[in-house]
Amino acid sequence: MRIRLENIVKRFDDNTAVNDFSAVIESGELVTLLGPSGCGKSTMLNMLSGILYPTEGKIYFDDDDVTFMSSEKRGIGLVFQNYALYPHMTVLENICFPLEIKKVPKAERIERAKKMAELVHVEGMLNRKPGQLSGGQQQRVAIARALVKEPRLLLLDEPLSNLDARLRIEMREEIRRIQLETGVTTIFVTHDQEEAMSISDHIILMKLGVLQQYDKPQALYDQPANCFVADFLGNPPINKVAGVVQDGKVLLGEDKIDSGIKVDVADGTRVWLSFRAESVILDNSSSLRAKVIMTSVMGKEVITSFDLAGKEVRGYMDANAELQRDQEIGIRFKNSGVFVFDYESGERYL
Amino acid sequence: MIKKSFFERIKPLLYLLPFIASVTLFTLYPIVNVIRMSFLEGYKYLSGAYTGVGLGNYQKVINDPFFRQALSNTFRYVLLVVPISTALAIVIATMLNQKIKFQSFFQTAYFLPMVTSSLAVGLAWRFMFNDKVGILNYVLNIFGIQGPSWLTTPAGNFIAVVVFGIWAILPNTIILLLSGLQNIDPLYYTAAKVDGAKTLRIFFRITVPLLAPTIMLVIIINTISTFKMYHELFPLFNGPGIAYNLFTVVYYIYYEFRVMSPPKYGYAAAAAVMLLITVFIFTMLQRAVQAWSRKERGEDVKKVKRHRDQNK
Repeated sequence: MRIRLENIVKRFDDNTAVNDFSAVIESGELVTLLGPSGCGKSTMLNMLSGILYPTEGKIYFDDDDVTFMSSEKRGIGLVFQNYALYPHMTVLENICFPLEIKKVPKAERIERAKKMAELVHVEGMLNRKPGQLSGGQQQRVAIARALVKEPRLLLLDEPLSNLDARLRIEMREEIRRIQLETGVTTIFVTHDQEEAMSISDHIILMKLGVLQQYDKPQALYDQPANCFVADFLGNPPINKVAGVVQDGKVLLGEDKIDSGIKVDVADGTRVWLSFRAESVILDNSSSLRAKVIMTSVMGKEVITSFDLAGKEVRGYMDANAELQRDQEIGIRFKNSGVFVFDYESGERYL
Repeated sequence: MIKKSFFERIKPLLYLLPFIASVTLFTLYPIVNVIRMSFLEGYKYLSGAYTGVGLGNYQKVINDPFFRQALSNTFRYVLLVVPISTALAIVIATMLNQKIKFQSFFQTAYFLPMVTSSLAVGLAWRFMFNDKVGILNYVLNIFGIQGPSWLTTPAGNFIAVVVFGIWAILPNTIILLLSGLQNIDPLYYTAAKVDGAKTLRIFFRITVPLLAPTIMLVIIINTISTFKMYHELFPLFNGPGIAYNLFTVVYYIYYEFRVMSPPKYGYAAAAAVMLLITVFIFTMLQRAVQAWSRKERGEDVKKVKRHRDQNK
């Protein structure tokens, strides 16, 4: 099912939680609503599920205007952060419950519930109560319960944040597998960029109720629309050094060190030079000098932090270089993963 | 190991002494003394003299028509008041738990019986029950119902005390159930609503089952407290009904101990012991039910852990 969001605004008293939000979500895709807490992503989800109604704007499911339609008529499946499994019902009863409400005959509802249980791999624990399941198993049951009535849209509200790190990776792969197997249009809310990057077809990144960028995960990483997007994505976080533009060159720090990066903006514009850790290369012939602070080995990679124009930054350096503390090195940048943003507005110049 | 001095070792005991002393003096001693008294035949409290030791008091009490009447009244009272008040309280608590207009007014109204003296309120009820000027029969009359003669016939007496009993027990029951309701995560309701569940289905399939442990607790607590009913009888009838027809077990104890002349301490004690045993059985039942409901909800953490470890 294709979802069209047109100029959605949601205000709570004086506080605007979502502002002029427009997007189209294509049928069968898994789209992540990503952003820090308070960015309006949960509000957006609640408006999609019909728990909240927008103050302004329209929501279309295919061609139906569902803006003010009540939840139960929308044909959605919802998975909550803490699963909200009914503790007094067994796994089977939990999965059956949405069908019971729809007055599906008992034999059929058990058959459909069992099929769902198989899909999410909980068929062996149908007679257990939620309290007897691990977090990951509860999550699977919650997904089965949301999918059993064959919704047009599956909504997942921070579904992995109650799981430990290892389970989280396992479950996000599971969610992706289940989504691909059923082909259901899915919207996934999270504040974890890694989670979003790994499972989404597209990511909608939000900040303070405003859509920042809506793109494929790799595109968000490679071509951030603004400084916020660049800062939010990537691990280790992107390096940021303040500078000023002179003669089309970005000069870094108070000493105005020439970064070698060229940008076409007016002289005197204050900017951020942002670069990914993998976009910096050790090159002692370079005139751009830096001082090593420390190196740390992280598995097969060596990450070096160094002082660049008075700011500590990090880069993946040649492991064979055996850099010492306080050693002076020369560096240069690759062509990709290096951006220049406006210091105030975050607008991207390069 | 450092050897502690004698004083160091008994220090905790000193802290506990006031508590132990008061419990011994005011709780344990009376209980033991009542049990002892129940086996002493022809016991004189002031002189401490008795004519024999045995089950004579029990025999006498069990064969006493007044005690049998008391038992029958008490059981009928419990069987009426507990289910009706629990059902009413569930409905009222559920409504109070909603976002309704005048919520604080209704909460105050329903909790009022708890902060008022039951003696004073009982007198007010006595006026309301009055056949001629009482408001109850007046209201019933408007609906074309001929109300019972609450205070002047034995059958009316019983209904009156049941109505009063239900009213008096409601606030406590509502508070317990309300706290139970507030412990239910509202997310369950959201989840059910998103799936299209209507109010009644949510109530019977989600609210009531999740409230079941609290309902069980309320039923048992109320059973225990209604078993001990007797003070309601004073403001309404100045005694056990208009025709000595409303003896309850506790009133019987009071009667043998205080009203009879000379007092039958042994009978009162024997009746008290029998009541104690009944209440004790219900208390044990309560604990068993609570343990069961915890297990049913899979809240036995150790067990779950063990289970998971085995699965690894």
